[in-house]
Amino acid sequence: MRYGFFPGCTLESAAGELMISTKKVASALGIELIELDGWTCCGASHIQDVDEFLATSVNARNLALAEKLDAPLMTVCNTCTLMLRTTKKDLDEDPELKKKVNKGLRESGLEYKGTSEVTHLLWALIQDYGIENLKKLVKKPLTGLKVANFYGCHIVRPPQIMGFENHRNPRSMEMIAEALGAECVDFDQRLACCGFHAVFPAEKEVLKLTATNCISSKMAGADCMVTPCPLCQMQLDMYQPDAQKGYSADIEIPILHLPQLIGLALGYSPEELAINRHIVNAVPKLKESLGV
Amino acid sequence: MLAYDVVVVGAGGAGMMAALSASEDESLKVACISKIFPTRSHTGAAQGGINAAMGYRDSTDSPEKHFKDTVKGSDFLADQDAVEFFTTKMPEVISELDYYGVPFSRDGNGNIAQRPFGGASSPRTCYSADKTGHVILHSIYEQCLKKEVDFFDEWFLLSLVVEDSSFTGLVVMNIKTGEIVPIKAKSVVIATGGFGRIYWNRTTNALNMTGDGTAACFNIGIPLKDPEFVQFHPTGLASTGVLLSEACRGEGGYLLNKDGERFMARYAPEKMELGPRDLVSRSIETEIKEGRGFGEGMDSYVLMDLRHLGKKKIMERLPQVRELAMEFEGVDMLEEPVPIRPSCHYMMGGIHVINPETLSTQIEGIHAAGECACVSLHGANRLGGNSVADVVLFGKYAGIGARETAHRRSYGSETKLNQEAQVWNKKFETIRNKKTGKNIVDIRNKMAQTMWDNVGIFRKEEEMATALKEINQLIKDYKDTYIGDPAVRYNMAFVNYVEIGNLLDLAKGVVMAALNRKESRGSHSRGDYQTRDDANFLAHTLVHKRENDDYELEYIQVKITKYQPEERKY
Amino acid sequence: MEKFIFRIHRYDGTTKWVQEYQFPYEENKTVLWALTKIKDEIDPTLNFTSACRHAICGSCGVRINGTSYLGCKTPLDEIIETFDSKMLTFEPLKNYDVIRDLVIDWKPKMKKLKLVKPWLIPTEEGSVEKGFKQTEQEFSKIASPTDCILCGVCTSECGQLNVNDGVYLDPFILNKAYRFALDSRDGSSNEHIQPVLDNELWKCIHCMQCVTNCPKGIPLTDQIAYLRKTTMKMGAKDNQGARHAYAFYDDVKKVGRLNEMMLPIKTDGMVKTIGKRVPMAARMVYKGKINPLHMPKKVNGIEGIRKIYKYAQEVSK
Repeated sequence: MRYGFFPGCTLESAAGELMISTKKVASALGIELIELDGWTCCGASHIQDVDEFLATSVNARNLALAEKLDAPLMTVCNTCTLMLRTTKKDLDEDPELKKKVNKGLRESGLEYKGTSEVTHLLWALIQDYGIENLKKLVKKPLTGLKVANFYGCHIVRPPQIMGFENHRNPRSMEMIAEALGAECVDFDQRLACCGFHAVFPAEKEVLKLTATNCISSKMAGADCMVTPCPLCQMQLDMYQPDAQKGYSADIEIPILHLPQLIGLALGYSPEELAINRHIVNAVPKLKESLGV
Repeated sequence: MLAYDVVVVGAGGAGMMAALSASEDESLKVACISKIFPTRSHTGAAQGGINAAMGYRDSTDSPEKHFKDTVKGSDFLADQDAVEFFTTKMPEVISELDYYGVPFSRDGNGNIAQRPFGGASSPRTCYSADKTGHVILHSIYEQCLKKEVDFFDEWFLLSLVVEDSSFTGLVVMNIKTGEIVPIKAKSVVIATGGFGRIYWNRTTNALNMTGDGTAACFNIGIPLKDPEFVQFHPTGLASTGVLLSEACRGEGGYLLNKDGERFMARYAPEKMELGPRDLVSRSIETEIKEGRGFGEGMDSYVLMDLRHLGKKKIMERLPQVRELAMEFEGVDMLEEPVPIRPSCHYMMGGIHVINPETLSTQIEGIHAAGECACVSLHGANRLGGNSVADVVLFGKYAGIGARETAHRRSYGSETKLNQEAQVWNKKFETIRNKKTGKNIVDIRNKMAQTMWDNVGIFRKEEEMATALKEINQLIKDYKDTYIGDPAVRYNMAFVNYVEIGNLLDLAKGVVMAALNRKESRGSHSRGDYQTRDDANFLAHTLVHKRENDDYELEYIQVKITKYQPEERKY
Repeated sequence: MEKFIFRIHRYDGTTKWVQEYQFPYEENKTVLWALTKIKDEIDPTLNFTSACRHAICGSCGVRINGTSYLGCKTPLDEIIETFDSKMLTFEPLKNYDVIRDLVIDWKPKMKKLKLVKPWLIPTEEGSVEKGFKQTEQEFSKIASPTDCILCGVCTSECGQLNVNDGVYLDPFILNKAYRFALDSRDGSSNEHIQPVLDNELWKCIHCMQCVTNCPKGIPLTDQIAYLRKTTMKMGAKDNQGARHAYAFYDDVKKVGRLNEMMLPIKTDGMVKTIGKRVPMAARMVYKGKINPLHMPKKVNGIEGIRKIYKYAQEVSK
């Protein structure tokens, strides 16, 4: 299995641990990730506010880079996935737009053809790799660990663009967590928004959301939350101390990236997966539940 | 006591147009009450379009031609002064709607697009894709917001009050609180829509089309005009009765029987599917009766085939219709023909209006417009595209009429208004606390069944006599009914109870008028009297409700100015 | 016998309770069918609103298992399949005042709607006597936004409204502003858009719930992007939202990727950033999450990206 890998900006800085854990897990599973040479920011749902055509063009370029590798494009970020898939759908459904965009790409010797699919690690594990194959490689089952799967918006919505599974009741995260031996808790905010994209202009509201999300998972008895999106992870983790300020109840709960959860079951230590980089220290809870 | 110069009852196209034009005079206090939030009104369900001889698509079209088509469509029962007023004014109203922001579909010249419709000699139906009523309703509502019309949403008309032969106001229920409130008014516009729900689920009508305003007028002595003329829309979806727009036929859809035959060739060789609604409905039912339909009994149907129009045209002109067929019948019209069957659609009859330019009734101060009223614009059969037109045009003139009436009159006495409110308060209390009696839903369903079986598309003396007997019994049963909800706040069971009472009163009017009209004309088609009888029935029926609740029939002359009755052929 | 079990959230003006209804399962039925059946045959005290039965009047929005649906057009079988259960929980739409049971109050929303002047402000090219000329293409721009039936599903699902104190405009209100701003017959798009900006336009959190659940398929989130773009064209660039968007826009042009270190400063300004974000920054540096000295390098092919920018500018003109 070979993918053109699109890390997204956060993996180069604040979510560096996701880069580390993704690479570890991919190599343990025998998945070849070839980082796209010269990939750019997907626009993160912001560039479209300035110039929609530009946002489409920039991502057409990213897609063209994957096509050059003759491989599907894989991300580990919900928003990157949505941005890239939106562009792909727009271009594939509108030949005029495609022509117009390609005119811009031609100057740098690129062309968008529409030959590479866009997927996310979460989907690839289920669709391409297979849950059964993943199970075979589990060395340390996560028995006793209660996880709250926080999907994040852009892995399921809007379904016309994402469409991998039923957006009102997705199961992919649970399938993986259960394959790893963890126990999944059901909680109200399972499909909620983390608010990350508006944390600057809507700080008050977004912190409220962060607290709600954390409390909801804690109330359901989770030891940690797991998310397939680094932006959700950042919001839930980095901003947790700020979100705590408005609440008397303890909202603290560790937030893991999906590859970190997988890595633990594959036998890596929390340090190897850079879990110690999180603001909310997950290590004690993991030690308590898993004895790692 | 609340007091308004003009009170409009109903917030559909007619009601809000009336409220808007009444509000033009800023010296007047205008209120618009509606039992539902305004944009829920049934005008929104009109799909295909609104007729006006703009002449954009066919420069030879004219109000005169529209006039002639409407009269012919009405089977010569329409009042021609009203029709001429209507067709002459319609083009102005379309421009006014355009100016209000109605998003009309456009032609290549930037003019409002027009399409052919049943019974029209020119393509004169202006439209907005297939959601014409919806966009008109919302645009008029927006204008009302702009004008700051005083809306009383979810207030329900209980009765109109006349003291010493003079209109003094109305009694309404604030559904949200359960309060029963008298309102003093100098004039009122009744715009409460039709009463197709006498057939309950065998109708394209919304659940709340129960003729509340028509019944309120009927109860204070304003007669019901021509109630026997009930339009059955040819293309209701087979399984639910939900409307499939006439635009399907307008855009060139075929009607097919089980032999795959375009059977309209038998009934309207020239116009084919574009024949008027009454004719097409009867043709479909005849096909079914003679064994050329699909399915059995109540589940019988024929097909509407649009596949030959191609994907592009269907997606452009009929996108919502396609969605509708997919969601409510499970059929994609791009791939398959749609099962359809006639469904009760429209009441040509209604409140007896005596002046088409002011929409006044015989009681000074009470005006009526839209489907609840009978002007009579549609006579024995309404043409597609003439109802939204009726609603906006006559709604507008009713508002102007009511405005002028309000200037002429002063507020009346409060005595009877207070008494009437007391009567309703007591009734509310009694009914909501009653624990036994006849089941109201049963009464409703029995009414619908007998109306559909015996006073439907084809009518016969014997069957209608059965229906009359049954309706009379149901009216008796209704007096001993209970609703099962003791609450004061938002008691929809009580609202439904009053609505069903209204339907029963009106249904009885329909049956009596139909029984006594011993001819076939327009939508009124009798197996025992198969031809039109101008010698005896070129006349409007008036049904009066007398003091002792007895009904009495009277016939008045049709106003014929220009077009003498002739055989109606398509 | 298979049966439906509905748990309906009831409210009578003072008390709230959950009431359970059970009745035989039937195939191919809608949500509205079930509610009507309960009222007609089981419990006349249950209240909800409905009218047209075919998704044009917007009356019958309701929340089932936490998601908002238009009752008349939603097959029960679809919901059963989604949640893998015939036991369903019904609640009134969220972010509305509830009157009774599933009935919500629209009146306060209309007050809010009026902020964006939801009516045509005609240009001088038209007149009440003659109407307007409008091209087919101009009409096509307002065709989809005028599909809105005011059903309230978007409001109920809106992630920002769930946590907002009431200023943020409901998606259907944004749609209305957009609809008039785009109408070629409207002469004053700023009058519709300025109130949108003044009422927290940039607080949309991109949860995609409105666009996902709109029963009319209106592209509400594209509209929000358009409204934002337009406010910036109107000159409103000096706010957090606009500065944030431009930070991305500029960074990609400069190096191809986002400079996360500089993002708060670009968005909030230096003073505010130091005042507010130093503790967070310190936490992050301490955990090794950020390296203050790391500056993204220009990506391979940055020249090509700049050409795309130049080209896009020409196209957008």
